Amino acid sequence: MTRRTPRRSIAVSASALAVAIGLMTAACGTAATSASGSAPGATITLSFLSYNYGTPDLGGQGTQELINAFEAANPTIKIKPQGVPVADALTEAQTETAAGDPPDVAQIGWSKMAAAYRALPVTAVQDIPTAAQWGAATVGMSQPLLRAVEANGKVVAMPYTISTPTLFYNATLFEKAGLNPADPPATVAEAQRDGLAIAKTGGSGVYFDIADAAKSDFLTQSIIDANGGSEISPSGQPNVDQPAAVAALAAMRELTTSGAQPAVSEADAIAAFDAGKLGMLVTSTAVLAGIESAAQGKFDLRTAAMPGFAGKPAHTTFSGAGLVVLAKDKAHQQAAWQFIKFLTSAEGFTIITSKIGYLPLRPAIVTDPRYLGAYFRKDPRIGPALKQLDEVTPYAFFSGAQAAQAVATLQDDAVQPIVFAGASPASTLTGVTRQIQSMLSQ
Amino acid sequence: MSVVTPVTDGTAPRPGLVRPRPRPRRLFTRRSFTKHGAGGGWPFLVPFLASLLIWVYGPAAATVVLSFLRWNLTSGPPAFAGLTNYRALFADPNFLPAAWQTLLYAAGIIPLGVALPLWLAIALWKRPGRAAFTYRCLLFTPVMLAPVATAISWQFALNPLQGVLHALCDAVGLPTPDVLGDPGTALWGLDLITAGKVIGLNVLLFGAALAAVDPRTVEAARLDGATEGQVTRHVLVPQLRRTAVLLTMLAAVYAGQWSFTNISVLTQGGPVNRTDNVYYLIYVYGFDYFDIGRAAAASVLVVAALGVLLVAGGLLRRRRDARA
Amino acid sequence: MPAPDRRSAFPARLRALGTPASSLVTRPLLRRSLPPQSGGRGAPFDSQGMARAGWHLALAASAAFLLAPTVLAVLASLKPAGDLYDANPLPLHPTLDSYRVAIADFPVVRLLADTVAVAAGVTILQLIVATLAAYALVEGGARAGRLALAAGTVAVLVPAQALIIPQFLLVTHLGWQNTFAGLIVPQLSGCAVPLLLLRQQVRAIPASLTEAATLDGANSWQALWHVVLPVMRPALGAVAILVFAGTWNEYLWPLIAAPGGTPGTIQTGLALFLNTEGANPGPLLAAATLATLPVLAAYGCAARQITNAFMHSGIE
Repeated sequence: MTRRTPRRSIAVSASALAVAIGLMTAACGTAATSASGSAPGATITLSFLSYNYGTPDLGGQGTQELINAFEAANPTIKIKPQGVPVADALTEAQTETAAGDPPDVAQIGWSKMAAAYRALPVTAVQDIPTAAQWGAATVGMSQPLLRAVEANGKVVAMPYTISTPTLFYNATLFEKAGLNPADPPATVAEAQRDGLAIAKTGGSGVYFDIADAAKSDFLTQSIIDANGGSEISPSGQPNVDQPAAVAALAAMRELTTSGAQPAVSEADAIAAFDAGKLGMLVTSTAVLAGIESAAQGKFDLRTAAMPGFAGKPAHTTFSGAGLVVLAKDKAHQQAAWQFIKFLTSAEGFTIITSKIGYLPLRPAIVTDPRYLGAYFRKDPRIGPALKQLDEVTPYAFFSGAQAAQAVATLQDDAVQPIVFAGASPASTLTGVTRQIQSMLSQ
Repeated sequence: MSVVTPVTDGTAPRPGLVRPRPRPRRLFTRRSFTKHGAGGGWPFLVPFLASLLIWVYGPAAATVVLSFLRWNLTSGPPAFAGLTNYRALFADPNFLPAAWQTLLYAAGIIPLGVALPLWLAIALWKRPGRAAFTYRCLLFTPVMLAPVATAISWQFALNPLQGVLHALCDAVGLPTPDVLGDPGTALWGLDLITAGKVIGLNVLLFGAALAAVDPRTVEAARLDGATEGQVTRHVLVPQLRRTAVLLTMLAAVYAGQWSFTNISVLTQGGPVNRTDNVYYLIYVYGFDYFDIGRAAAASVLVVAALGVLLVAGGLLRRRRDARA
Repeated sequence: MPAPDRRSAFPARLRALGTPASSLVTRPLLRRSLPPQSGGRGAPFDSQGMARAGWHLALAASAAFLLAPTVLAVLASLKPAGDLYDANPLPLHPTLDSYRVAIADFPVVRLLADTVAVAAGVTILQLIVATLAAYALVEGGARAGRLALAAGTVAVLVPAQALIIPQFLLVTHLGWQNTFAGLIVPQLSGCAVPLLLLRQQVRAIPASLTEAATLDGANSWQALWHVVLPVMRPALGAVAILVFAGTWNEYLWPLIAAPGGTPGTIQTGLALFLNTEGANPGPLLAAATLATLPVLAAYGCAARQITNAFMHSGIE
């Protein structure tokens, strides 16, 4: 090794060290900036934690548009957005709260909402405006949904980016298998029959995204609800060992054992559907935008309601996220209310649906030419999911501090093994119920 | 004082090669540093010990304390919980299997992460030149690719319905294995993906150790008629033993942690909890469930177990050295 | 007779060279007319050529296996969204759409700069601390050395996940959240590994060097700076690369310590692309490629130095 290189690398290292030290001192000097400090009467800055912000196309642009539109209409309020991976939204809100600087408004996934209520300094959204203001703001929103999201009789977290389960299906594969694309399956048994037909032509039949990567039980609840059962009792205890739940999961299991459903992970299934190899995919409407862009020019993508069970009304629950207000002082809470009111207005939902891909929670705007009229005429594929809002049931939570772990246990130790690994439904569910009961009682 | 004579090309002689037994303190004796005093080394150790104290041992002590508390970081002050967290860990049906799986991660990464780099490094050393240099560069490249991107690429490739693996199996006529979805193979699949990052670095490290091997030993063995395999096994490998032991120890200890990104992106501990390891569980307890006490208790148990293994390893080595 | 002589001479010769030869005692040697490696003047051409071909095959296969995910990622980033999930890894209709999306929403340049700053900062700090400690291992008394080594070895065993929460609490207490200080300084917890790696190299420094310096009247610091450091430079280069690479890939700590995104690292930035409700792999892979290219370019320019650093480092 020549002498030159060592001297050069020492010089490089020395300057890098100087830069690093300079950066550190500069950063130390400006550390701990308060996001929500403001002079009275001047601009209020709201910190907004969102898992859609900063993501490429799926939500980033839409969220930025919402923020820009709001700031244009409300010059005294500035939004300071912060992006976070979806799985870490609650974690992030919690660590920031622990650090003494929680975000003023946070978008929290609904499955984590009960934990958020317990762990974060939440002020119920309904409590901030007067009753009249609240009524005026929410009059056009889906009332069944608003009732479904209530906790202790009032709306604590405002539904924001909400989705329901949908059946996505590949009409091209349907035709190839000799099925009628205008007649998608309405029950799980029909889905099995259609799935087997498609599997015979070389593709994969149907996939229920019931054991997803985020360990969410939203589809589990929807399927069990559709069979007339419930995953969680009103007191927050597990109900999955009851016959209705056992039968529902047994039906899911039979999809796999019969060969209509491939026993793969959610990511693999979505990839296969996007490539046109999977006939039917039952998952949240939130993936619609991604699937649409993948299907463009390759196959005919259609949607329908989630297949239920014969003779039983199809109640589904919902997924997605709501907005919680963590701001402590009145001025910021009022500003947060203005922001939330805008985000859930007709204009807000127009952007949310057309740009981000979630449901418009004001059903009337899909036929209103000022808002989503033209969009919906061109692409009515969110129709079935939207209709399910009329029959929506509340998303249920386990009680107690171990609720999140209970959900993960249910998904990992019951749903996944039963549906995809052929475990026996009755005995597995009984065992897991006991496990969850002891977990919740700690 | 020293029986070592410097080799003429300027590199220091390898202790493993030319030392007599038993080994005296060859290079530095107290006598040569009485000017600075036997305690002259302490000031130089202060930054090191302080760093460890503040950022390792202090937090470790805090973790021990936290393991006896019940706390979720934000709501209210922590409450004393005694041994509840430890009892809950042993009652958790996932914890002990995860511990066992951690050992499997460690065992699985050694063939691919240590033995293969050793073999590759020796192969590169035997034929130095431009080709060897190119291969070394290529082997190092995956180290710098973002772990998330690597994980996603592997996910695409291993898709049993329509990834590259599926295409290959279809071409040959075999059914496609669901590597990451089958409880029997998921862990090994993750180990394979994790090893990819380690191989490049270890090839370089073994290469560094090989650079200090005295070529005369290899010449002598070849002149005696040893085959290449025998040269490798009986001449080169023994001289790399210390590096190999160090890298094996590092790989075994860190395998579980290195797999963290891959587990979190690809399997989330599944299927059927078969790719969980204790490090992932600690993260899940702490940052998914915010059960700080239980995460701390799991950490304490992991460190205790590693400590036991370390002591056992040391005792074993001492007994073997004494016997030899 | 030559054969018995050879069989008994070989183990004896190796023992004289200090290599443990007990495993050789009962192992018969295969007789070959000439050593296969040296010049090959008399060896048959086939075995030479085949050996070389076999060598290339093994190394090329290993390189291909390791590089496969990288190559797949780059190829996939050039595919249009509809083709992304095709089994064929080659982009049949290559576009830069994913790159357009990635650049628009992903501040590559800033994140790269931030990550370089953090990795460089951690590398420099860890090296300084470890070098000083390694020097102390040989300069100071045996007790100091043993303590440092023991403390370092035990520190290696403590898992990062175990320490993260108390480290996070400490960093918050210091007000270092979302600052470079919070990202860099706590990663000093990993300074034990460089020490373990540098240890052998420092021991191999002949006493005559430092003694000469001492006779000239140098104190410990000057001996370190003028005598020990130049000799250790290759090893320092090698260890620096290791630490830099490790810090570059670090995900967990930046996620916890700097969630705000400024300063952010590449790894946490890329994670934003992984939205479960509709993962967008095309732009993710494009962003990852953009993030890797400058690093690969730098590595390509410095590859010879890096490899030489490892070759001559004398790390054992």
